[in-house]
Order: sequence, then C-alpha cells, then structure tokens
Amino acid sequence: MKQKRSTRVVLTLMQVLLAIIVLLPFFWMVSVSLKPPTEPFAIPARLWPDHPTVENYVSAFRPEFRTYFLNSLVVSLATVAITVTLGLLAAYSFTRAQIVAISALVGLVVLAQMFPHSAIIIPIYKMMRSADLLNTYWSLILAYVSVTLPVAIWMLRGFLLKLPAALEESAAIDGATPLRVFWDIVVPLSRPGLIATSVYVLIVTWQEFLFALSFTSTKEMRTLPVGLNDFIGQYGIRYGELMASSVMVSLPVMAVFFFLQRYFVAGITAGAVKG
Amino acid sequence: MRKDRRLHWLLLAPALILMAVMLYYPMFGTVYESFHETSFLSPDPKFAGLALYRRILADRTFTEVVTNSIVWTFGVVLLQNILGFLTALLLNQNLPMQGALRAIVLLPFILPGVVAAILWRFMYDPQLGLVNSLLLQTGLIENSVAWLADSRMAMASVIIAAVWKGFPFSMLIYLAALQNVDQSQIEAATLDGAGPARRLLDVTLPAIRDVIVVNVVLTLILTFNYFDIIWVLTRGGPQSATHIFPTKIYESGFGQFRFGEAATYGVFSILVLTVLVALYAIVQGQANRRRAAA
Repeated sequence: MKQKRSTRVVLTLMQVLLAIIVLLPFFWMVSVSLKPPTEPFAIPARLWPDHPTVENYVSAFRPEFRTYFLNSLVVSLATVAITVTLGLLAAYSFTRAQIVAISALVGLVVLAQMFPHSAIIIPIYKMMRSADLLNTYWSLILAYVSVTLPVAIWMLRGFLLKLPAALEESAAIDGATPLRVFWDIVVPLSRPGLIATSVYVLIVTWQEFLFALSFTSTKEMRTLPVGLNDFIGQYGIRYGELMASSVMVSLPVMAVFFFLQRYFVAGITAGAVKG
Repeated sequence: MRKDRRLHWLLLAPALILMAVMLYYPMFGTVYESFHETSFLSPDPKFAGLALYRRILADRTFTEVVTNSIVWTFGVVLLQNILGFLTALLLNQNLPMQGALRAIVLLPFILPGVVAAILWRFMYDPQLGLVNSLLLQTGLIENSVAWLADSRMAMASVIIAAVWKGFPFSMLIYLAALQNVDQSQIEAATLDGAGPARRLLDVTLPAIRDVIVVNVVLTLILTFNYFDIIWVLTRGGPQSATHIFPTKIYESGFGQFRFGEAATYGVFSILVLTVLVALYAIVQGQANRRRAAA
C-alpha cells in the first residue's frame, strides 16, 4: 500500500523514537561496563566512555563469577534436556493416543501453567528439605523441569498436531515398531518444535531467580541471577564491574536467541495466535 | 491397540507424575501450610486453624499488598499491551529497516530479568543514574528525584521498568496476529472510503479480538506473579509501597521463616488472581454480547 510522504516521515520518526527507548538502557549498560572505575561517578552521567577499557570485564570475571556461570550452565542444560525429552513424549501421547481421559489431562497441563510459583514455593521447599536436596543442582533442575514442562508440552503439542499422521501410519503398516516410528519419523519431523521449545526453556531457566534464591544457600551453588543480585550488596558502588557482569550474563542467551530466533518466534506465536 | 494404549500411558507417565508431585501436590500443600504456624524461633509447625487468616486480614500490610498488586498488575498489563500493540502496528507498515528494528525491539525480552532489574536500578540512581541526568539536562525536572526511595514515585518507577522489559513479548504476539489479518478485507474497506482509524476499529481490531484476550490474560497472570523486577529494585519498599504478593511471600517465608504466613499469603494470592482473571472474562463476555447484539 502506498503511503503519503508526510505519513512516511512521521512513521520513520516514530521508529527512531522506539529504537531509542529500547536501546538507550542497553547502550548505557555497555558504555558503563567499558568505563574505568571512577568514570561512572561523573555527574551528570555521561553516555560515552571517555577512556574505554575492558578492565571491568577482567576483574568481574573473578572465581565466584566463574562458579555461578558453571552452575547456571549445568542447571540450564540439564533442564532443557529433561524438559524437552519428557515434553515430547507427553505431547506425542497427547496428540496420538486414543485415551478417553486425554482432554481432561490436557486441561490439567494448561491449568498448571498458571500456578503462581511464589504461591507453591513453601511446600516445594519443604519437600526438597525432606529429600535432602536443598542446595544441590537437583533441587533447581527438578523445580525448573516441573514449571517449564507444561508450557513445553503445550508448544510441542502445537507442532505435533500439524504433522501428517499418514507417514506414521504407513511406517506402522510396513512393520515398524511404535518406538521405531517415534524415533525415526516423529523426532526428526518435530525438530523445529524441539528447537523452539529448547530456546524457550533456556531463556526461562537461565534467568530464573525465585527458586534459585530460595533453594541455594552457599556461594558454591549460586546461579548467575542470584550471584549478580549479591553483587549489588557487596560491590554496590562498583557499577562498572556490575555492568560488565550483566553483559556477560546476557550474552550467551542472546547469542542463542539470535541464531535460533525464527524457530522461537514461530513456536511462541503459533500457540498464542492460533491457540 | 491395547498395547499402543499401554505405551502411550508409559510415555505420559514421567511428565504427569512430575507435574502431580511438583505442581498439584504443592498447590494443596499451600492450603495445608496456611493452617499451620512456624517462626524462626519455633520452626516446628503447630496447628493454628484460621488464626493466620484472621491475623493477616486484620493487618494493614495485607490491604497494602492487595492494593499494590492490583495497581501494579493493571498498570503493567495496560501499558504493556497498548505499547506492544502500537509497536506491532508500526512494525507492520511497509517501511525500510523493519527487520532490523524487529530484532532490536526484542532485546529487552531476552535480557535476563535480574539483569534488567539491576540495569534499571542503576538508571534510577538519584546521583549517578541516567534518568535523572537526562531529565535534569533537558530541564524537565529541577532537582534529582529519588525514583525508588520516594514512596510516591516507587510504584510508577517499577511499572515503567517492567513495561520496558515486557512490551516486546506482547508486540511479538500482536505482530503475528496482524500478519494473519485478511488483507482483502482491509482493501475492501479502503475502497469503501474508510480511513486508517476506521480500518483499525472496524476491520483489524475485530479480526484479532481473540488474540487480544489471550494476550491480556497471559500478561495479567505473568505480571501478577512477577518477582524479579520488584525484588531487585525495591525489595517491596520503601516501607511497603511496592510489596506485591510474590515479594511478600518470599519475605515472610525465607526472610522471617514464617512458612504458615507465607502460605496464607499464597492462598490469598491465588484467590485475588482468580478474581482478576474472572473479572476480565466477565467484562470481555459482556462486550462480546453487546457487539453481537449491535
């Protein structure tokens, strides 16, 4: 559709404004992370670093930070692997099984997505305590798998519903066992859904804060979000380091997102728009 | 066929058992805990009946938490959806640089919540923060404002930070919906002489009505339960000016070891959330009926 010149100018200006609103905080975060230690204290705050340096990155990458990073990595990757596996198995049964109770079970999955985590955290904490799992990776992995699983099942179910059942049927007629059909046909065909779901689970677990804050008690077990929050108290005034750490926490998940963005966007919007 | 059914149950079992143990059982557990009292000094749960409910209902903090939760939820949901929708409209035009801008707009959404919160805490810093610097330099304010420490400004400040972080998610869903709108209807309306505003109201909005409902309910639930931003920015303060249910539950439970009290707040939070979603459903249902009647 053709637009009038004046309309185009207004729209372009609005785009520029939008980009500024979104980018300004990011720009500042990176700028402060590149400032030598005394510069963030210049008043009024200056947008550009006068003498850019990577000093903050070097000092922020202290042993604690490396521990937090490793913890986050272990917990997130384990959660992604377990959630996506269990999610695909469940979603497959939800779409293919001739079981009378299926729609009731799907309803329970949808409902579970809405449970406020803070409202159920006390009983979960007590269960973890009785099982002696507090302050271990497993407390976080179990909690993260359970809260991401309902959404993962929902996203994967959306993908599986679109797969033609004919392929599976003809394979079954050719004598393939159900497990063969699942492994050789369903898994490869649902790859885009698996990628989208994995990215979603990674974004959620990489930044999870409430469970991590409540279930871990020692520095050795902290994940990045909790460790970062601790920096506020301990190094509250060392904004350069804090911003450098923030950049380092954000980069991995942003990198993953940008490589796999089109899968993710398709996965998220398919559920909500076609619902 | 029978063997197939057994296989499917087998595939379902791990997910169902995990969700039953880790989500549904705790849901009932919270109600159970709310009838039992603990504190830092006496950590063994003692049956308390409805005592905790009575005490919390009589407490002024409870009223504040409910009011704050409602202000926070409505503020974020309204602004985030309006901004998200307008951004989606803007990014749905045929303009250069759309692709790059779409990628840029998604950045706050991928930024980890705690990082966003720390960044905004720094932005709001009275002396060193960018917000005051810019406002002072442009002359919009004359003295620095303590955005997070001033109880009149704190709620608005956390809402703005949350909207900045959250609007790209709403944008994403609205944009997908806009791209699904039937273009021939829009062209027909244009030929009938409808201007952009008419087309938006009469064609686009009705076409994406269901998506708007889904989006609002989704952001309502997510916002009501959002913990990170407020906890890192204000810890619920100053006084209780920004305490919402999740921050209050965390503080009672893990700050003061009052598990019963935290659980009781948990039960109330579920009730309030249910009322909010139900209210929205009723309002939406009435609007639909009016539209159908018209």
